Amino acid sequence: MEACPIGSLNPGRGGEDMVEFNVLGFLIDWSTFFAIYAILAISLNLEIGYTGMANFGKVAFYAIGAYLSAVLTIVAFLTIFGVSAPLYSVDTVIALGEHGAELPWLNIGLFILSIVLSAIVAGVVGYLVTYPTLRVGPAFLGITILSFGEMLRFFLRNYEPLGSTYGLFGVPHPFQWIPNPTVRTGIYALIVLGIMFGIYIYAERLVNSPFGRVLRAIKDDEVAALCLGKHVPRIKATVLFIGSAMAGVAGALYLFYLGSVNPDMFIPRVTFDIWAMVILGGMGNNKGAIVGAAIITFVDRALTFITPSLGLTAYITPDYIRWMTVGLLIVLVLLFKPGGLIPEKPIKTPALEIADKIEEG
Amino acid sequence: MVGVTEVYNTLWIGLIFMVLGLPLTLSYRTTGIINFVHINFITIGAYVGVLLSLLGVKNIFVIALVAFIVGAAIAVFDNIAVFKPLSERGANVVILMVASLGLWIFYKYFLYAIVDLIGKAVKENLVSVILELDILPSINLGGIVVDGKFLTTLTLAVIVVLFYYLVLTKTSIGKAIRAVSDNPQLAEISGIPRDHVVNFMWAMTGGAAAIGGLLWGIFAIVTPEVGDWLILEIFAVAVIGGLSSLLNTAIGAFIIAGAENIVMAALHEAFGLPLSFRPFITFLVLVIVILVKPPLGAGGGLPYRFFKPRKRW
Repeated sequence: MEACPIGSLNPGRGGEDMVEFNVLGFLIDWSTFFAIYAILAISLNLEIGYTGMANFGKVAFYAIGAYLSAVLTIVAFLTIFGVSAPLYSVDTVIALGEHGAELPWLNIGLFILSIVLSAIVAGVVGYLVTYPTLRVGPAFLGITILSFGEMLRFFLRNYEPLGSTYGLFGVPHPFQWIPNPTVRTGIYALIVLGIMFGIYIYAERLVNSPFGRVLRAIKDDEVAALCLGKHVPRIKATVLFIGSAMAGVAGALYLFYLGSVNPDMFIPRVTFDIWAMVILGGMGNNKGAIVGAAIITFVDRALTFITPSLGLTAYITPDYIRWMTVGLLIVLVLLFKPGGLIPEKPIKTPALEIADKIEEG
Repeated sequence: MVGVTEVYNTLWIGLIFMVLGLPLTLSYRTTGIINFVHINFITIGAYVGVLLSLLGVKNIFVIALVAFIVGAAIAVFDNIAVFKPLSERGANVVILMVASLGLWIFYKYFLYAIVDLIGKAVKENLVSVILELDILPSINLGGIVVDGKFLTTLTLAVIVVLFYYLVLTKTSIGKAIRAVSDNPQLAEISGIPRDHVVNFMWAMTGGAAAIGGLLWGIFAIVTPEVGDWLILEIFAVAVIGGLSSLLNTAIGAFIIAGAENIVMAALHEAFGLPLSFRPFITFLVLVIVILVKPPLGAGGGLPYRFFKPRKRW
C-alpha cells in the first residue's frame, strides 16, 4: 500500500484531468465511472449485504478482469498483425496505435470476449479462494482475501512480462475506429451503463429467488441455515463466484475505458471506496448500492474536476480531504444511520404478495 | 549463505513484531474486534518520535512514554466514540471491523495532512524520515559489538512485555480483563465494571502498539505508510498465536520474523528467488496456519484461555 498522491478513484492516472471544465466530458466520464463502480457495489452488496461475507479483497478480482482483458487484447492484436514484440515494449505500443482502428469487428469481438473470459476467470479464482478462507469466521475471511489481493498486486509489480510496475499500455478502445473522441466515449458510456443495468436486473432476480432467501438466512444465522440442511460452504463459494465474476466484468470495462493498466490502480483502498458506497447506500439493497456508487463517484469526479481551480492545493492535497471524508462517512453512517440511505426491505415472493392482497381485503 | 545478519535481524524484527502483535491479540480476545486502527497506532507512534525530535526532545524513553499516552488516548477515544455505541446497538463483528476500517482511513489521511502541513512549515520532508534519537550506547561483549539501536529495542520490548505480564497476571484489573474476555456477561454480573475494564484494555493496546511503531521507526525509515506495510505480518503473527494466547503470539512473532529473514535468505540463496517476494512467505505461512490450525475464536468455536490453552475435544 503505497502513497499515490494524484487521481483518487483511478490511482494510476496522472493529471490529465486538469483541463477547463467541460460539462459533456464530465458527464460521460462520470457516468462511465459510476456504472463501473455500481457493478462493483452490486457485487459487494451481494456478498456482504445479502450473504454476510466481508470481502475486503474485491480489488483482486477487479485486477484479474483488467489484466486478463489487457493481455488478451494485446496478444490478439500482435498475433493478427504479425508483430513480434514483448507485451510491454515501445514497439507494441506503436503497433497497437497503428493497427488499433483497422478492423472494427476485431475490436468489438475482443471486447466481448474479454468481458466473458474476465467473468469466468475471476469467478473461478473467487470460488477457489473460498476453500481456505471458509474455515475462519466472517471477519477473518476479509483479512485473508485482503492479503490475497495484496499478494496479487505484489506479484504483478514484480512480474516482468506484464510490465512490472509500469503495467500495460496502448490497449485499443473497442470503438477506436470512430474518429470523434466524444462520440466514442459517449457510446462506450452507454454500453457500460447498459451492462450495469443488466447486472442490476440479474442481482434483483437472484436475491428475490429461493436462492436469495437462503442467502439472507445464512447472513442472519449461519448455524440455523446449516441445521436446515443448506450446504452453507458451497453456497458461500457460489456467491463469491458470482460476485467475483461481476468484479471481473467491471475490471474489463475499466481497462477498455482507460486503455492502460498498472498494478497500483488496484491498491486496497479501491475496495474501501466500494465499501463506503455499499454502506452509504444501505446494505442488503441493490438500489442502495447504485445510489451510493452514484454519490461517491460524483463527489470524486467533481473534486478532481473542480479542486485545481480552488487554489487550496498549495496547503493541502485534495486527495487527503477526499479520503478523510470517505473514512469519516463510513463511521458516521454506521453510527447514525446504520441502514444507509435506502434500508433493507422485506423479501418479495409471489406467495407473500398474494397474502398481502388477501389481508388487504 | 544464511549468516549472522539474518539471525540478528530475525531477533530484532521478532521483538518488534512481538510488541505489535501482543496488543492486537489482547484487543481481539477481549472485544472481538479486528481493529484496523492498529495500523494507525503504529504510524502515530513512529511520528510521535519524528515530531518530538523536531521539538528537540531526543530521549527515547521520554518519547516512548509520550507515544504510549498518545496511542492510549486514541484507542480509548475510538472505543468511547465508535465501538461502544455500535456494540451496544448489537452490531456484529463485521460492522465493527468496517467501522475500524473507516477510522483507519480517516486517521491515516489526517496524519498525512498534518505531516504535510508541518513539513511545509518547517521546510523539511517529513513524509519519509530517518529517526535520529538519543538511544542506548552500543556495547562490546567480548569482541561482539551489540548495536545501540538493538539494545534500545530489546529494553523497550522487555519493558512492554513485562508490563503486559504483570498487569494481566498480578493486578486485579488484569484479572478483570481476562474475566471480561472469557465471558463478558458473567463478568458483568459478578460486579466487574466492564466499561472501565475495556477502556483500560484499549489504553494498554494503543499504547503498546504505538511503542512498537516507535521501535520500527528506530529500525527503518518512517513514512505515513509504515503501519500499512507491517499490518499483514502483524495479522499473521496474531493468527499463528490462535488469536487468543499471548504466549503463542510471542512465538508467532519470531516464526514470522524468521520466515521473512532466515527462510527468505535461504530461498534466495538456493533458488535465486528475488528478495521482493518476502511478503509471499508471510502470506503462505498465514494460509497454511489457517488451513492446518484455524484460530478457534475466529472460526466461531470456543476461544482459548490466555495462558493455559484448554484442550479441544
